[in-house]
Amino acid sequence: MKCIACGHDGPLSDFRYLYNARIDASISIRQCINCQEWVAVDELKGETLEKITGGAAPWGKSAGIEGLATDAAA
Amino acid sequence: MAQAALKDTSVEEFETRQQWWWAAEKKRSGRLDYLRKAIWKKGAIGGLYAPGVKVDLERAQLQTRKARELEFSNDAYVIKFARMIAHILDNKTIFITDHAQLAGYTASLPHTIGWDPSCASILNVEVYNDPTAIPEPADESQKIIQEVNAYWGGKTDLDRMMPVFDMEDLMKMLSGSIGWGVPLARGGYSSKDYEYIMTGKRAFQDIIDELDRKIDEGDEMTHAPGATPETTDMYDKLNNWEAMKITLEAGIRIARRYARLARIIAENFEEDPVRREELLKIAETCERVPAHPPRNLQESFQYDIFIQMMSRTEAIEGAWPSRPDFYHGPYYDKDVNIDHTLTKEEALDLVGEFLIRAAEVCQFKPKWTREGLQGIDGTWVWTIGGVDAHGNDACNDLTIALMQAARLVRVANPTLSFRWHPKVKDEVLREIFECNRQGLGYPNMRNDPVLIANTMHWYGHPIEEARLWANQACLSPCPTTKHGYQPMRMANATANCAKIIEYVLTGGYDKVVNMQVGAETGDVTRFKNFEEFFDAWTMQMKTIFSILVRAVNRARTLAPRLTPRPFLSGISERSIESGMDTFEPSLERGNAWITAFTWVENIDSLAAVKKLVFEEKKYTMAQLKEALDANWEGFEQMRLDFVRNAPKWGNDDDYVDDIMIRCLREAAKFSRELKCPSGNSWPILPENVSGNIHYANIVGALPNGRRLGDALYDGGISPGPGLDKKGPTAVLKSCSKIDHITDGRAFLLNQRLSPTQLAGEKGYQLWKAYIRTWADLGIDHIQFNMIDDATLRAAQKEPEQYQEVIVRVAGYSAHFVDISRKTQDNIIQRTIHGLG
Repeated sequence: MKCIACGHDGPLSDFRYLYNARIDASISIRQCINCQEWVAVDELKGETLEKITGGAAPWGKSAGIEGLATDAAA
Repeated sequence: MAQAALKDTSVEEFETRQQWWWAAEKKRSGRLDYLRKAIWKKGAIGGLYAPGVKVDLERAQLQTRKARELEFSNDAYVIKFARMIAHILDNKTIFITDHAQLAGYTASLPHTIGWDPSCASILNVEVYNDPTAIPEPADESQKIIQEVNAYWGGKTDLDRMMPVFDMEDLMKMLSGSIGWGVPLARGGYSSKDYEYIMTGKRAFQDIIDELDRKIDEGDEMTHAPGATPETTDMYDKLNNWEAMKITLEAGIRIARRYARLARIIAENFEEDPVRREELLKIAETCERVPAHPPRNLQESFQYDIFIQMMSRTEAIEGAWPSRPDFYHGPYYDKDVNIDHTLTKEEALDLVGEFLIRAAEVCQFKPKWTREGLQGIDGTWVWTIGGVDAHGNDACNDLTIALMQAARLVRVANPTLSFRWHPKVKDEVLREIFECNRQGLGYPNMRNDPVLIANTMHWYGHPIEEARLWANQACLSPCPTTKHGYQPMRMANATANCAKIIEYVLTGGYDKVVNMQVGAETGDVTRFKNFEEFFDAWTMQMKTIFSILVRAVNRARTLAPRLTPRPFLSGISERSIESGMDTFEPSLERGNAWITAFTWVENIDSLAAVKKLVFEEKKYTMAQLKEALDANWEGFEQMRLDFVRNAPKWGNDDDYVDDIMIRCLREAAKFSRELKCPSGNSWPILPENVSGNIHYANIVGALPNGRRLGDALYDGGISPGPGLDKKGPTAVLKSCSKIDHITDGRAFLLNQRLSPTQLAGEKGYQLWKAYIRTWADLGIDHIQFNMIDDATLRAAQKEPEQYQEVIVRVAGYSAHFVDISRKTQDNIIQRTIHGLG
C-alpha cells in the first residue's frame, strides 16, 4: 500500500491501525510508519485515500438526516 | 474570538448562528463572566491535566506530618484519621475569589487539585510520574512527593486492604481488562443523608451537642458496674462519636477562618464599598454556616459547599449526588418571592456562582479514571425536578433558575438531570428544551414513576423514601434518607462487558493482557448450536461480575474498621444514632449496582453469530475465530457482512431485541444471587461515560465487526453509532421492550437530534411530543446532543475558536475540545435523528 502523504510503499502492517471511520464502512484510519501521518484507508481496496487532518472527512461523518455522509449500508 | 468581534456582534446574531457560548458570554452579568473565566479547567484533556493545573502538595504534607505525629498514639485509627482531617482543615491555605459571594475549595489554591496520599500507593506513584501536574520547581516538588510516598508506602487504604483480598481476583482487576479501578471505600461515589443535614432542622453545632449527649451516656455506661457485650461495643461507638465530633468541630473552624479572611480583606484592603459589603456578608455567612442552619439562599449554598469541601477532604469523591432545587429551593423562594431580599437577577448570579464553584472542584485521579471521564473530574450530576415524599410536583423557581443559570455559565460539570413526571409544568419543560437546544447536552430526562418503582423493586426502599432519590453518580437513583443513602459506591464494580463476548470466543483467555481472566468455557469451535454458545456467554458474564462484586463486598465489609469516614458519619442520622461508622452495612438497605460498560456489543455480536454462523451457516465458527484472531485483517468483506447483514439493536427488530432482553434477564437473575453486604441485590446499569474510548485498545476484535482499537459503542442501551437506521421511534421501540423496572437499575440512551429541525416553537412541540412518547413507553433515561456536524468538525479544525462547545458524552457532558479525537469522532459518528 502506498502512503498518500509521503509515498512510502509497504505492506499493510506498515500502516498502524488506529480506528474505524464508521463501523459499517470499509474506511479506517491508519498511521504511516514512515511519515507518522494519519491516512484514511479503504480496507477492501487496500488503498490510502487521503491524509487526515482535524475536521476532515471521511472520519467524523454522522449518519442521518443531515445528509453529510453516504450511508454505507444503504 | 477577538474582543472587538465579540463586542460588535449582537446576542441575536450569535443565537441565529447557534453560537450559544458567545451569546451566553454577552448575556451574563459582569460578575458571572469574571467568575466563569476565573476558574481553571480541571477536567483532564484526553487523559492529561491542562497546562498550569498542578497537584496540591500542601494537603499531602499536612496529612503526612500529622500521621507521623500520631503514628505511635494509642488512639483508635478512626480518631487518628479524624485528627488528620481536622489538621488539614485547620491549616490549609484558603482563598476567596474576587467578586465571589461563595467560598471554599477542596485544595489550597485555585489552580491546584487535591491529592490524598492515604488512599492508594498506586495513585501516589502516578502523582510522582506525572510531570505535567507536578508544581514548579519540579526538583523540590519531587522530593516532597518522594517523602510523602515513602511514608505512605504500605500504609494506604489499599495497601492495608491488599492482604484481605483474593489475590487472583485482584490481579484480574488490576490488569485493567474487566473492571475500572480498585475497591476503595474512600474512592467512589458518596450519597448523603440530605434529609438529616439539608432540611434546615439542624446543622453541625446541633449534631455536636447530640454527640456530647451520646458520649456522656456511653461514658457512663462503660464505667458502670457489670460488663456486658454492649459495654464492649460501646468503646467502639465512643471512638466513632468522638471522631465525628472532631471533624465537625474542624468544619466549623475552617468556615470561621473563611469568615475571618473575608472580614480582614473588607476592613483592611477593599476600597470598593459595594465589594466591602459583599465581603462582610461572606463573613457573616461563614460565621453562621455550617455551625447553624442556613437562613437564606447564600447561606444555604455556602453550607452545601462547605459540606462538599469537607467530604472531599475526607475521601476522593468521584461524584456529587445532589438535589439542589429541592433542598435550596425554599431559601430561593423566601429571598426572592417572600422577603424580596434578592431580585431574580441577583439570585441568578448566586445560582450561577454555585454552579461555577462546583465546576472548579477537582481531586487528583489515576489515568484510567481520567480517560474514562474525559473533560471532567467526576460526575457531578445534579438531580432536579421530580416529586416530594408525598408524590407532589417538587419543581420550584430554583429548578428554573438553575437551568437559566446553566445556560449563562455553560459549565460541563455539574450537569443537571431532570426527573420527569406527568405533572411537570410546561414552563419547566421549555427550560429543559432550551438548555438542550443551546447545546448543553443536559438536563437529561429521567422517568420518575419508572425509577421510583425500580428503586423500590431492587432494594425495597419505601415509596416515601424512593420518591426522594437523587443520582448517586450518573444514573443510579439513591434515596437521600437515613437508611436509604449509600455512603460509597466503589468504581471498580464497573464491568467492561464487551469482554464477556470476547471471552466466549477465547475460552476466557485475555489475549490483550495475556492471562486467563474469564471462565474456561472451552473451545468455541466445538459449540454445536447457539444455546451452547449462549450458555458460555452466561458463564463468562457471571464470572466477570462475581470477581468485581467479591472485591467490593470485601472492601465494604471491612471499611468501617479499616477505612472509616468520621465526617460523613457525622452528618448521617444512622451513625449519630448507632455510634457506628456510616460504612457499616447493616445500617442501610443497600443500593449497590454494577455499571455495565460496553454492553450492547454483546447483543449485536450474539445476533451476528446466531444468524450468520448457526442459522445461515454462511461462516463456520472456525472461520470467525480466525478472522477475529487476525483482528479482521484480511477479512474485510467478511467483517462488513457481520456488520451489515446481521440484525442490529435499535431498529425495532425482534430478532436482536429478543437477545437483548434475554441477556438482561440472565443478568437480572444473577443480580439477585449476588448479594451486597447489606443483603440486597446487585442489578446492572448499562452506561459508558467515556469508557468506550478507554477500552478501545483493551477489547479485542468482536463479531459485531469492531477491531481492536475501534471505539466501542457509546454505551448504555444506545445503538451502535450509525447502526440505528430506522429512525428515532424505532430506537425507542427497541428500548421499550426492556422492562425498565425489573431488568436492571437504569439504562442510558444517547440520541442526537437536529438543531435546525428543532428551532422555534415548532421544534419545541416536536420535542415535547417525543418526550411524551418516550415517557409513555416506560424508558427510564434519554439524553440529547443537539449540535450539528458542521460545528463539531469546525471545532476539530479550529479548537481555539470553539473552546466552549459542550457535548453530551455518556452520562455526563464535556467541552468538545477537552475530549480525545477518538471520542470526538465517536460522537460525530452517532446518527442525527429527525423527529416527526
